[in-house]
Amino acid sequence: METPFHKISQRMPRRDWLRAVGATAGGVAWANVLLSDPVSSQEPSAAKPLPNFTGPSPNPYWNSVGSVVSEPQKAALLLLTDRPVQLETPRGNFLSAFTPNQAFYVRWHLDRIPNAVDLKTWRLRIEGNVSAPASLSLSQLMNNFPAQTIAAVNQCSGNSRSRFQPRLPGAQWGNGAMGNALWTGVRLRDLLSVARVKTGSLQLQFQGLELGEGPDGYGSRQYQKSLNLDDSVIDDCLVAYSMNGEPLPMLNGFPVRLVVPGYFATYWMKCLAFIRVLDKPDENFWMKTAYRIPDTPRGTTTPQELTAGSVKTIPINRMPVRSFLVSPDGSGKIPAGLPVQLKGVAFSGHGHIERVEVSSDNLKTWQAAQLGEDFGPYSFRTWQFSWKATSPGRHTIAVRASDEKGHVQPDESVWNPGGYLWNRIERQEFVVGTAE
Amino acid sequence: MKSTRLRFTISVLVPLACAAMLAARMEVLRAGLYAPDGLGQITQSAPTALEDGSTYAVAAYSAFSIQLADGPGRGETQISCNTCHTVRYITMQPPLPAATWDAEVQKMIKTYGAQISDADAQKIIQYLQTHYAPETRK
Repeated sequence: METPFHKISQRMPRRDWLRAVGATAGGVAWANVLLSDPVSSQEPSAAKPLPNFTGPSPNPYWNSVGSVVSEPQKAALLLLTDRPVQLETPRGNFLSAFTPNQAFYVRWHLDRIPNAVDLKTWRLRIEGNVSAPASLSLSQLMNNFPAQTIAAVNQCSGNSRSRFQPRLPGAQWGNGAMGNALWTGVRLRDLLSVARVKTGSLQLQFQGLELGEGPDGYGSRQYQKSLNLDDSVIDDCLVAYSMNGEPLPMLNGFPVRLVVPGYFATYWMKCLAFIRVLDKPDENFWMKTAYRIPDTPRGTTTPQELTAGSVKTIPINRMPVRSFLVSPDGSGKIPAGLPVQLKGVAFSGHGHIERVEVSSDNLKTWQAAQLGEDFGPYSFRTWQFSWKATSPGRHTIAVRASDEKGHVQPDESVWNPGGYLWNRIERQEFVVGTAE
Repeated sequence: MKSTRLRFTISVLVPLACAAMLAARMEVLRAGLYAPDGLGQITQSAPTALEDGSTYAVAAYSAFSIQLADGPGRGETQISCNTCHTVRYITMQPPLPAATWDAEVQKMIKTYGAQISDADAQKIIQYLQTHYAPETRK
């Protein structure tokens, strides 16, 4: 039986301890018992900052490595860039199915983004190849159309870009360029009915209030995105004026933004001001050159194929299935034998999450996690799994999700020049200590 | 003789034993460590005064200063890149091969229409390759 005093606090330096315990012969004797076992010599130093970049190897952290910053209407978020504003949501905010507006990530393309909007003059314009061009105020959008609500994940195309090998230039997101919200607004179809789309129309082009310093006609001046009119996603689209039951934060697109359930966020135009019906395919930079993926399974290719010029590309569209372990985050140890609730979220741009599974033996066997409430096909689905490590040491937990279309998260990396579509199985290492 | 031993027991040994037992029951290995460090601190923004009426405004967004590596070409890099975006775009990147930096600067000029002279472009490319490549990034 070990002495119960074998690990006593050594908050004070040894000599102060001795003085405090007493100068009597008895006191010294006690002190010697107390200090007879050597205490661990590794004293933690002051917290150190993360490096301000990672690479050439993959970013090993869950989030990106930027500083924590505070912006209007926002909680503390992680800074990627300040002009244009790009902010990442810290991991702990993904414990719930809905991401708070204050914590919702931010990604703008151009630097002149609104600080103020006057609703007396702001209008949503529907123009182009229509019989009845429309110009609608926020009040008209709120009152003249039935309100529709949908839970949908908004994820940046480049979420997790910092995982790619070889690394790619661009915003070096960790996993936090995503969020789920309850969006309320007007069905895009209802707006198109009002403007009466002419036959022969091909696409809808969306543009918001952001502008850049580049020359006219360049992508550095205007940010515009288009969807095909015959794409079934048009039926699900909303022009949302409410996010989680609140007005949209300015940085997330006040007064209205397009919601494209299941699709990557590049189409979810913020501060939406123009819907243009086109009778020719949109050839602007953001459609023709940017946000394109290889037309291959999983949108993956290699630097060699790319150099050879043999890669056909298509515009990015639906989000592949993903799942994340949010908590515990591995920053503390877990005592052996103590059951731990592993918690996280999963989603897919192809529909409902059917299954989330956890593996603690390097992907050899999988056990089903318990799924949380179902908020619809395009929402985050929370999951939970009670895990008990019986032996001390390093344990790695892997998590994978499957969706209703039969997509199962793979363990293979993806690579394409844009740094898009990352959905490899996530892992978290835990250090399990002895409990006796 | 007996009472002296009793008094010694009560006045010295009992308190000592109690103190030791209390300490022994709080088996924390380290406690009360504080380090003088500003890390973890971010300043709260003051709330903005809101006006009545139809204008919805928020405060100015933050522009954080960033120090680029010292060396020839830094001035040209700061002036040209800052026209459209923060130079934090540079420091955020992983170390990128020389060819990638060349392609990035060419993309800014050809694809995004950046107005940069050939001479300045060469200086900027060389500066980025000198300080932000795998062999040189600090």
